[in-house]
Amino acid sequence: MSAVDIDLRLVRKVYHKGRMNITVLDGLDLSIEGGDFAVIMGPSGSGKSTLLHLVGGLDSPTSGSVRVGDAHLERMSERELTAWRSRHVGFIFQMYHLVPVLTAAQNVELPLLLFRMSSAERRKRVETALEIVGLKDRMDHRPNQLSGGQEQRVAIARAIVTDPDVIVADEPTGDLDAKTSTEILQLLSLLNSEFRKSIIMVTHDPRAAGFGKRLLHLDKGVLERDERHTHPVQPVAV
Amino acid sequence: MTMGYVLLQNLRRNPLRTALTATAFALPMAVFVIAISIVLNLAIMSQDLAKQLRAAVHHRVSFTNFLPEGMRSRIQALDQGKNRLTAVCGMRWFGGRVPGAQNIVQSLAADHDTFPIVYPDVAMSEHEIAEWNRERRACVVGKLIAEQYGWKVGSQFSLQSSIPPYQELEFVCVKIVELSSRQSVMYFRRDYLENSLEALGAGPGGCNVFWIRARDAESLLALQRDIDAAFANSPDETKTEDENAFIAGFIQAAGNIPGLMQMLAVVVVVILGLVGGNTMMMSLRERMAELAVFKAIGFHSLRVFRLVLTESVILAIGGAAAGVIPVWALLNLIPLSVPGRGPSMPLTASWQGAAGSLFIAALIGFAAGLWPAYQAMRLKTVNALRNIGE
Repeated sequence: MSAVDIDLRLVRKVYHKGRMNITVLDGLDLSIEGGDFAVIMGPSGSGKSTLLHLVGGLDSPTSGSVRVGDAHLERMSERELTAWRSRHVGFIFQMYHLVPVLTAAQNVELPLLLFRMSSAERRKRVETALEIVGLKDRMDHRPNQLSGGQEQRVAIARAIVTDPDVIVADEPTGDLDAKTSTEILQLLSLLNSEFRKSIIMVTHDPRAAGFGKRLLHLDKGVLERDERHTHPVQPVAV
Repeated sequence: MTMGYVLLQNLRRNPLRTALTATAFALPMAVFVIAISIVLNLAIMSQDLAKQLRAAVHHRVSFTNFLPEGMRSRIQALDQGKNRLTAVCGMRWFGGRVPGAQNIVQSLAADHDTFPIVYPDVAMSEHEIAEWNRERRACVVGKLIAEQYGWKVGSQFSLQSSIPPYQELEFVCVKIVELSSRQSVMYFRRDYLENSLEALGAGPGGCNVFWIRARDAESLLALQRDIDAAFANSPDETKTEDENAFIAGFIQAAGNIPGLMQMLAVVVVVILGLVGGNTMMMSLRERMAELAVFKAIGFHSLRVFRLVLTESVILAIGGAAAGVIPVWALLNLIPLSVPGRGPSMPLTASWQGAAGSLFIAALIGFAAGLWPAYQAMRLKTVNALRNIGE
C-alpha cells in the first residue's frame, strides 16, 4: 500500500470522570506526511497515547477531524472503524500481548483471519512478515519460548502482516533492555525506510526518539514543539 | 488456522482450571443424566401401561387391607353386557426371600386362569401358558431378579414369605419376563399360595388387589366408576385406579422420586450455571488485554462476543460429555433398577436422555457465558489498553 497522509484539525478530546471533564487534547492541529516516522513525547497525561489512539482509530475525538488518507475517522461508526483498522493500521504495544497458546506464526496469522484469503496465501504472508522481523526460524515457538525482544518482533510481524498504511507503536521498547530496544527501533526504522510505512510512536525514552524523523512534544494536550531530525539513527539490516 | 482452532487453544490456556471446570460439569451432569433417565423411564413406562387398559381395585383404606375372595365375581357381574371387561385377576402379596438372603423378591400370587389375559404384555407363549396352568408351583420371573439369582426357565427354588405365617414355598420358573416394567417382579399361582395357607391353618385371606383389564379406554373409566360405586358404604370400600396412578403411588411411597429428580436437576443446572459463569468471568479478567488487542487489530465486538460465548458452551459440553457418556454406557451395559416396594422400574439411559443432557449443558454454558461475553463485547479497547499500561 502507498503511504498516506495523516491530518488532524482542531482535535479536542475530553474525558468525563464523574462530574469532572478532563481535557486531554485541546484544539490540536497536526499533519503527518505519508512515510514519516513521527515520535510523540511528553509527560504523563500530556495526551500522547490519546493522540495515538485517535490516529489508530481506536477512539473518536470529542470535536475536530481526524483524517488518515481518505478516511475521516471522526465520521465513522464503531463497526466501520473496526473494519478500517483491520486493513489500514498495525498496532504495536509495550507488553506485546501475544496469545500465549498460539505459536509465533499463529499469532502473526490472527489479523489475517479477518480477510478472505486462502490458507496458502496466509501462510506466505506470515512467513514474509516473520522473515522481515528476522524470526522465520522461530515460527513454531510459543511466546513463552521466546525472549522479550523476540516477542516484540512477533508483535511487529503481526502489525505488518496485513500490509497497513500506518503503524502505531505505544512505547514499543518500554519493557525491553537497551540492546534489544535498539534492535526493535532499528527494525521500525527499516519498516519506515524500506517499506514506506508511516510510523507514529509514543515513547518516554529520548534515545528511542532519535530513531524518528520527526519529534512531536505534547504537553497538557497541546503541541509544544515540533522538530524534524535531519539525521535520524539509520536502520541496519536485521 | 481457523477461529475454531483459536477457541480450542484458548481452553488449553489454563489446563488445570479447564480440567477442574470440566469435572465440575462432568459429575453433576452424570447425576443429571441418571435423574433424567428416571424421569424418562417413568414417562415411557407410563405410556406403555396406559395402552394396557388395566386398573387396580384395592381397599380404600390401604393396599394392605384384604378384599374378600368373592369380590372377583361381583366385579365380573358389573359387566352385565359382557362388553366392557376382559378379565379380573386377583393378586396377593407374598414378598418372599431366598433363604439366607437379605433382599425381598417382589413376588405376587396371581389368579392363574386370568393372569395371561390381564397381562398380555408379559407375552406368555402357548407353551408357557400351558406350563403355568399345569404346574402348581409355576412362576414367571422378571429378568432382573432372574439375573440376580441365576434363575433360568426350569430352575427350581424356594422363597420364604416376608409376612405371617412366613411359609416357605417351592417354585418352578416357567418364564423369564423381559417387559421393562415387570423385570423386578415375580408372579406365581394364587391357588398354590391359598392351599399352603389352608394347610397351615391360616385360611384364605383374600386379595390385596384385583386387577381388571377393560376392552377400551372408555370402558376402563366406566368400570372404575361402577366398581367404586358398587362397594361404596360397605366394609370393603374400594378405590379403583388405572395402572399408572397405582404405580405412581408406589413410586411416591419410595420418596417421590420424580419430584426429587426434578429438584435435583434444577439444583444441578443452577450450580453449573454459577460454576460456568464464575470460570468464564475469571478467564475473561485474565484476558482483558488480549481481547482488547483482538478488537484493536480488527475483530468486531460481535465476533469477540461469539468467541467468549462459544468457548463457554464448548467447555460446558465437553465437561458434560465426560460425565454423561460413561454413565450412559454404564446404564446400558449393567442392568439397574429404581428400588421400590411395588413394581420397580428398570433404569436404562436412552440416547435421547444423554443427548438432552448435553443439550442442557450447552444451554447452561450459553447462559453462563452470556454475561462474560457481553462484558467482552462492551470492552472499550482504549480503556483496557490504558489499564494494561498502568
